Amino acid sequence: MGESPVRFYCFYIYMASSTIARKNLFEDPIRFLVAQAGILFAVSLVTIQLGILKGFLRSTSMLVEYSSADLWVANKDLVHFELVSSLPAEYLKKATEVPGVEKTEVVLLRAGRWRDPKGNLSTVRIIGFNPEGQMFARWPMGEGQLASLNQSYKVLVDRASLASLDVSKVGDQATIGNLPLEIVGLTEDTKSTASSAFVFASLETANAYSLAELSSNITCRRLPDNSTDCSNQFSNAPRDRNLPAPEPRRLNLSDPITYILIKAKSGEDLEQLRTKLAQAMPDTVVYTRKELSEKTRNYWEVRTSVGFILGFGAVVGFVVGMVIVGQILYASVADHLREFGTLKAMGASNWVIYSIILEQALWMSVLGYIPSMALCFALSAWTLKAKGVMILIEPTTAAGVFVLTVVMCVGSALFAVQRVTRVDPAIVFKA
Amino acid sequence: MTSNLNFDGVPLDPTLLPIPMTAINLSFNPLHRKADLVTVTASSPSLSQETTAQGAIAATNVRMSYQSGSEVFHALKGVDLQVPTGDMQLLMGPSGSGKTTLLSILAGILTPTGGSVKLLGQDITKMSPKALAKFRLENIGFIFQGFNLFPALSAVENVEVALKLKGYRGSSARKEALVLLEQVGLANKANNLPRDLSGGQKQRVAIARALAGNPSLIMADEPTAALDSQNGHAVIELLRQLAKEGGRTVLLVTHDPRIMDAADRITYLEDGLIQTKPHH
Repeated sequence: MGESPVRFYCFYIYMASSTIARKNLFEDPIRFLVAQAGILFAVSLVTIQLGILKGFLRSTSMLVEYSSADLWVANKDLVHFELVSSLPAEYLKKATEVPGVEKTEVVLLRAGRWRDPKGNLSTVRIIGFNPEGQMFARWPMGEGQLASLNQSYKVLVDRASLASLDVSKVGDQATIGNLPLEIVGLTEDTKSTASSAFVFASLETANAYSLAELSSNITCRRLPDNSTDCSNQFSNAPRDRNLPAPEPRRLNLSDPITYILIKAKSGEDLEQLRTKLAQAMPDTVVYTRKELSEKTRNYWEVRTSVGFILGFGAVVGFVVGMVIVGQILYASVADHLREFGTLKAMGASNWVIYSIILEQALWMSVLGYIPSMALCFALSAWTLKAKGVMILIEPTTAAGVFVLTVVMCVGSALFAVQRVTRVDPAIVFKA
Repeated sequence: MTSNLNFDGVPLDPTLLPIPMTAINLSFNPLHRKADLVTVTASSPSLSQETTAQGAIAATNVRMSYQSGSEVFHALKGVDLQVPTGDMQLLMGPSGSGKTTLLSILAGILTPTGGSVKLLGQDITKMSPKALAKFRLENIGFIFQGFNLFPALSAVENVEVALKLKGYRGSSARKEALVLLEQVGLANKANNLPRDLSGGQKQRVAIARALAGNPSLIMADEPTAALDSQNGHAVIELLRQLAKEGGRTVLLVTHDPRIMDAADRITYLEDGLIQTKPHH
């Protein structure tokens, strides 16, 4: 008698309903499996859509996330990680001189045209950095060593980008612009779904590629009136392979750079430091790693239609799931209407009957969710390995989808409850 | 006054029963925990003096009308009915006479358009739907023509459902369900699903379920209609025992003339009006 009435009542409802709920649900295995297939489809659709969205957004800011820099200095025009104007190289020296800065590193972002061994072109994003640096290149290496980039015209590419670049392994060669390259290593988990394939190189090599894309030949002649007539002839003709490629030169003050990564001295107040950096370098914005990452993700999620499209797909999956579960539960209730009528005639409260339907909905959600997640994780692993596309199912996503699944199934059960609420217990006397 | 024979007339082994069983009567003692409800007594102490004086079922001027388009159909035109405590009473009449409607009203499942119904001294027509459901749960056992067993549940689970609704818990519900199945001679079929039982066996499971929680009233709708002669007789004999030895009041709607001998009283219903003939 020491039990609270509420606890007793819940227990009573549970005990009265659990057997009927489970056994009615599993009574017809074929129908149950069809229902579970529907839920599996819906849950998988929601999960994959959300996973693609999350994976896509993560991929856009992965390089930022991997870095250990406290602050990123960029041009004030920055829109997202890859859409940013340049900074003058002299800012590197200015940044280094700001009190509180322990270390600086430069990152270059350039566009390039990759010509694979068969002569096919594709666009690439060239990323230059100091291979000896400690703040930028902290991603997992699949094969090779970062130090190999100290040699001219040696590059790294993401393993998932090999197919799109039409190469297959370390040691394969191609060109960017008219300059040669050799793949000396493979990175992992650095591919951006939103971007062209990344090609990682030293600052010098990256700069050389960016300048080698087009060569111009200015021809001037003096006219009889003493004026000059000049024509600039651009050319992207392949370099004469018989000639050795010129050694990449060191960056100088005339070369634009993209980011300056800052490591603050221990105990330095980052807010104060970023203010000092911004003052020292006009027309710049100083981001923390988290801010730059979020700004990039936010751009893709909000300013492009990607977030809407993938989010819409998740909503469609949710609605489809609700309809499927609703139909199944409604049909199940219709099939067992006499049983519910019998329970009502016997004196069972409506809550006992509701609890049966709700329990069925919960079973359906749990039993639909588990295989769905297994399927999604398997798909995620396959897409990452085979296509380099990450379907990111974080614990929070998995938990959120579980809650959605329960809401979907319980919400659907409400339709079925409507049906049973109207059941006339007098039907029990009809043979 | 013993009932320690099982349904097939074979003496029960008292050691197999969790309690001594000298009578079928299962009475309610509110001082006991639900798990201990099965006690052996010779009377039904839950019945009030008023119930004994007025009868377990007392219907007065019960009327029931249905609107069908612009016409009003009067299914019951003022029915008066008294069923004494412990009686087994039949409600007979041709199809469409209003038998099932009257049973539904007497069971508190349908609300009459007029008149009053007192069950065990309480006017159920004045009860709220919630109170009425509780009253049914505590006082009435139902037996249906179509058995209305839960097809996905075994025989013992079917009985357990009713017991759990009445507050029995866990193993005590299972234990009590087995006792009830033993009483109707189906202990050896406890784990069979309804589809694996004959019609007679199904109806015995339904009777065991109706006995769950020891209700004072048993209401049965054509309990033998789906049974052959042998099974029909067996079911009726069991119901008669329940009424006579258990101190319960049993009201049966039936077309089955084979039952007439077992009843204390037969009420004939025709065109929504009744005529009562004492049977014995």
